Amino acid sequence: MPTARILRNTLITALVIAAFAVSYRVTEADFPRLFLDLPKGKELLTAFLTPDVFTREVETRTVSLVFPIPCGSAPTEESLPSEGPRLVPSVLCAEPLEKFTLEGYDLQPNSEVVIRWRLPDGRTMTAIRTQTDANGYFTYEVQARPIQSTVDGVASRLEVDTLTPVGELKPSQALKDVLDNMFVTIFMALLSTTLATVIAAPLSFFAASNITRKGCLGTTVYYLFRSFFNLMRSYDPLVMATVFGFWLSFGPFPGFLALTVVTIASLGKLFSEAVENIDPGPVEALQATGAPPLHTVRYGVVPQVVPDFISYIIYHWDINVRISTIIGFVGGGGIGYYLNLSINDFKWHQAGTAIWAIVIVVWAMDFLSSDIRKRLT
Amino acid sequence: MLKIQNLSKTYPNGTQALKNVSFDVQDGEFLVVIGLSGSGKSTLLRCINRLIEPTEGKIIWDNVDITAAPPAELRHIRRKIGMVFQQFNLVKRSSVMTNVLSGRLGYVNPWTSLLGIWSQEDRQRAIQALDRVGIADKAHSRADALSGGQQQRVGIARALMQDPKLILADEPVASLDPVLSHSILQYLEQLNKEGITVICSLHFLDLVHRYATRVVALKDGVKVFEGSAKEIDRAKFKEIYGEEAQEVRAASL
Amino acid sequence: MSIETATRRPVVRSGIASFFLPGLGQFLLGERYRGGGILLGFVVMLGTTVWYGKPLWYAAPILIWLWNIWDAISLANGRARSILLPLLFGLAAAYGIGWQVVEIDFSKANMDRALAILRPMTRPDFVQPRREVNQMWVPVQVPCSSQPPAARREDAGRAAMVIPDCGGVGETLIVNVTGMWADAETNVFWQNPIGNPLMLGEGEITMLTLTTDENGSLTTTIRVPSTALVAAPDPTLPQFHRVYFEQYRPTGGYELSFIGNEVLKGALATVSMALMATGLAMLFAIPLSFLAARNLMSGNPVTYAVYVAVRTLLNILRSIESLIIAIIFVVIVGLGPFAGMLALALHSVAALGKLYSEVIEGIDPGPIEAIRATGANWLQVVRYAVIPQIIPPFTAFTIYRWDINVRSATVIGLVGGGGIGFLLIELIRVNNMRGVSAVFIAIAFIVIVLDYVSAKLRERLV
Ligand SMILES: Nc1ncnc2c1ncn2[C@@H]1O[C@H](COP(=O)(O)OP(=O)(O)OP(=O)(O)O)[C@@H](O)[C@H]1O
Ligand SMILES: [Mg+2]
Repeated sequence: MPTARILRNTLITALVIAAFAVSYRVTEADFPRLFLDLPKGKELLTAFLTPDVFTREVETRTVSLVFPIPCGSAPTEESLPSEGPRLVPSVLCAEPLEKFTLEGYDLQPNSEVVIRWRLPDGRTMTAIRTQTDANGYFTYEVQARPIQSTVDGVASRLEVDTLTPVGELKPSQALKDVLDNMFVTIFMALLSTTLATVIAAPLSFFAASNITRKGCLGTTVYYLFRSFFNLMRSYDPLVMATVFGFWLSFGPFPGFLALTVVTIASLGKLFSEAVENIDPGPVEALQATGAPPLHTVRYGVVPQVVPDFISYIIYHWDINVRISTIIGFVGGGGIGYYLNLSINDFKWHQAGTAIWAIVIVVWAMDFLSSDIRKRLT
Repeated sequence: MLKIQNLSKTYPNGTQALKNVSFDVQDGEFLVVIGLSGSGKSTLLRCINRLIEPTEGKIIWDNVDITAAPPAELRHIRRKIGMVFQQFNLVKRSSVMTNVLSGRLGYVNPWTSLLGIWSQEDRQRAIQALDRVGIADKAHSRADALSGGQQQRVGIARALMQDPKLILADEPVASLDPVLSHSILQYLEQLNKEGITVICSLHFLDLVHRYATRVVALKDGVKVFEGSAKEIDRAKFKEIYGEEAQEVRAASL
Repeated sequence: MSIETATRRPVVRSGIASFFLPGLGQFLLGERYRGGGILLGFVVMLGTTVWYGKPLWYAAPILIWLWNIWDAISLANGRARSILLPLLFGLAAAYGIGWQVVEIDFSKANMDRALAILRPMTRPDFVQPRREVNQMWVPVQVPCSSQPPAARREDAGRAAMVIPDCGGVGETLIVNVTGMWADAETNVFWQNPIGNPLMLGEGEITMLTLTTDENGSLTTTIRVPSTALVAAPDPTLPQFHRVYFEQYRPTGGYELSFIGNEVLKGALATVSMALMATGLAMLFAIPLSFLAARNLMSGNPVTYAVYVAVRTLLNILRSIESLIIAIIFVVIVGLGPFAGMLALALHSVAALGKLYSEVIEGIDPGPIEAIRATGANWLQVVRYAVIPQIIPPFTAFTIYRWDINVRSATVIGLVGGGGIGFLLIELIRVNNMRGVSAVFIAIAFIVIVLDYVSAKLRERLV
């Protein structure tokens, strides 16, 4: 016997190892790369840890100069000013990809500097962000735009914005937007949970074996509802939201619908289990009094399941707040949508604000729901 | 008059709980059904109001065939048959009042009662019923806040709300202590004296002797005795309960 | 007289208190939770109204405020009003606001579009009839050089040619092929030198499909596609393009379609991602869970500080959805299942760490005492008293987490984390609803099967 057991254990171990080996290949796991690339995450993380919450009003001043690429494609700046806010490049024109030094003098002191290219058609490309010192001086090595930028003899320009915070500290636009979107998220969760409750509560009785599974028709209905709940429950609301988003175009509405559908299934399942676990005695007693079937349910079943139902509803509200924070990633609106936008625009500080808001709300909901449920039981 | 004719019940798993049982119950009787655990007492009582569908046989009550009644008529019949359960079968989270009122569900307007609205008359009746079993003051407590004896009295009040002509009581005192058992059975006896037929299953022979006007005994689903309680002598007892049962009897008496 | 003043004072007082601060009157009467709840409800309602600034909405906080005064007075008179009424009202108001905020608009629910989406979904693209191909091509020079080679080609009994031997964009050519399957549908299309197919049918957006005659030959005229030279580095340089003839016929049976194959790959990636993530998370969560177990760490201030720090970290991490973590990893290590796997792992570390630490906190101290009483050292106590107690629940929780991770892995692809979710988003983007349907079936299958398997495994453990 022990040999059989050893054999079995070896087999199981081998299977587990094989499963992990396959998974390792399939997921293209590349841990060295993770460690090499980890510094990339540092910038992200520091941005997240310094969310954009308060701002001062910013005064923007711009200085610019003509800068043809490549040399000779357009006339260069004739002479550089020698006083006042001014830019001094080490060369007056450059070949594509050539590196040169750009200095700025007498700009706003201690300000954020944005260096960018303005192309002849008016579009801009940000090259770099840096900072001026106390004298309003900065220097930075800039790389010339990689492709020919002169069009019809009009050269591109180098522009430098200095952003100086002035005035009082006040809530930033990001904070306002985050709050705005957070409202959408919380309401999305509230509405979908309540709507799903109203629909799932009656439907759950059809999926409860002790109520419905009688006779041929009843059994069919029972299995129908049960499989419907099980099937729908297997989809993450985000997966649902992709299809709803495709149908209704993007916004909070499809996200709300997707969330509702999945919640109906999930609550329906939980509710039906609560109904199945009731004490059958009172139901029998009511049948014995000659009460009609609907009344048997109303007076015999409903009072027994109400506390369970409430507890499940609150639990699900908690989950739904969590999900509606991210449903925006697939076009569901709300804070997730905002976060997605911020990340796509590389606005990391703004994204940080959204992430913090999510953490706080999810945390608060978690606490609130477990507290209420504890009180209920 | 209730006539039980050749009643048999086979459960889906093959258990034969009742085998060809026949007897009559006259109006106004206090009929007690006795038998070992598993002998089919509950099955018999539940067949009478068709909480369990009999497999074979007929149950005729005042010339109406209960076994053949379609659902709507069955509910009509059930209204007149009150039932009292061993486990009380109250809705524990509802108030005593709601539990008692729910005995009236077969009578009242289906729509308003679905919303939980009850007429003043029904409320009055419920208070009276509770008063009869002596717990009118508990009307607004939750059912699970009551003791076992009080809960069983709520069960009787609920049956009273039906204005029954027949009460089926399935071991109404099996989960109560001897003193409470007597008080509950006295309420049933009282109702019986007022003209309600009572069919009751009991375990303890002293209670049988004290309350029964007639006794039916079951053993393995077969009727093995029918007659007055006095007729149960030592030999009959052994037949009903088996050889080893003596000591239990001694203890219970 | 004296009794009257004694009862009247709190009535007036609570009314006034609640007039100035909702809930205060109730609070002073000793109903602390009621008072607090009313204040919270009022503040939330007022805050929402102020935030959205629609004048009509101010009715909601005002009504709550009025009810609150009435409630305080009734309470002082010894009649507790049901909280149900304001609760329902609050819910109704929240609904009114939410309805607008969430932009609910059922008229947007276009049923025709829904049907157009659902109809192809009834035929999931998973398998297709097995079929064989008969393919033939012939080179043709575009644009013409001074001496174009003959545009004809023979292969395995089939011959194809183009007349003339070369052409410019938009010119008409006659193509002929012989030796193909007889009476069979034949797709005729163009292929540019870098291998991209171009269509020759109506408006160059449909496939030109013709039928061969009883000898298996076919002749038709085509126009050199207007986009034939778009990809060419120098449009004046003659190059060889190809005209293709393609026939299919079923050979009986079915085979995986292209999408079906992708779905299988995606499903495997999803399950693998979840498995790797769970395994990885377990490695980190086990040591962390010991640090996050109160009963082990509350001995002295240093360990207690570690406990608090680890707990807080785990809690923060747990409230960040793996999807959000995935975005960060996508930035760091690029698109693909690796990023998704890392995100799942990080989130699972937090979730498992919490569950594990609760197991450790809940272990029975009896055996520990017993083993310690035998004179065993710390390591021996852990080995013989702690580990046997925690292995089954740890395993159960890990399997449970794997189950959850499979679910999450299906969505992590939606933000570029690889797996079946990535496929889903791609298919939706190109409006391939038959493929989407296959993905949905696959997801349901994976999730339900794993749900079942994990439940069975856990059942055996406990
Ligand atoms: N729902 C059921 N399905 C199958 N068999 C059943 C069912 N209910 C009862 N039985 C069986 O039928 C037989 C009679 O049961 P019944 O409950 O009528 O006995 P009883 O005399 O009331 O016993 P007790 O004194 O324990 O209540 C028993 O053998 C029992 O196991
Ligand atoms: Mg019984």
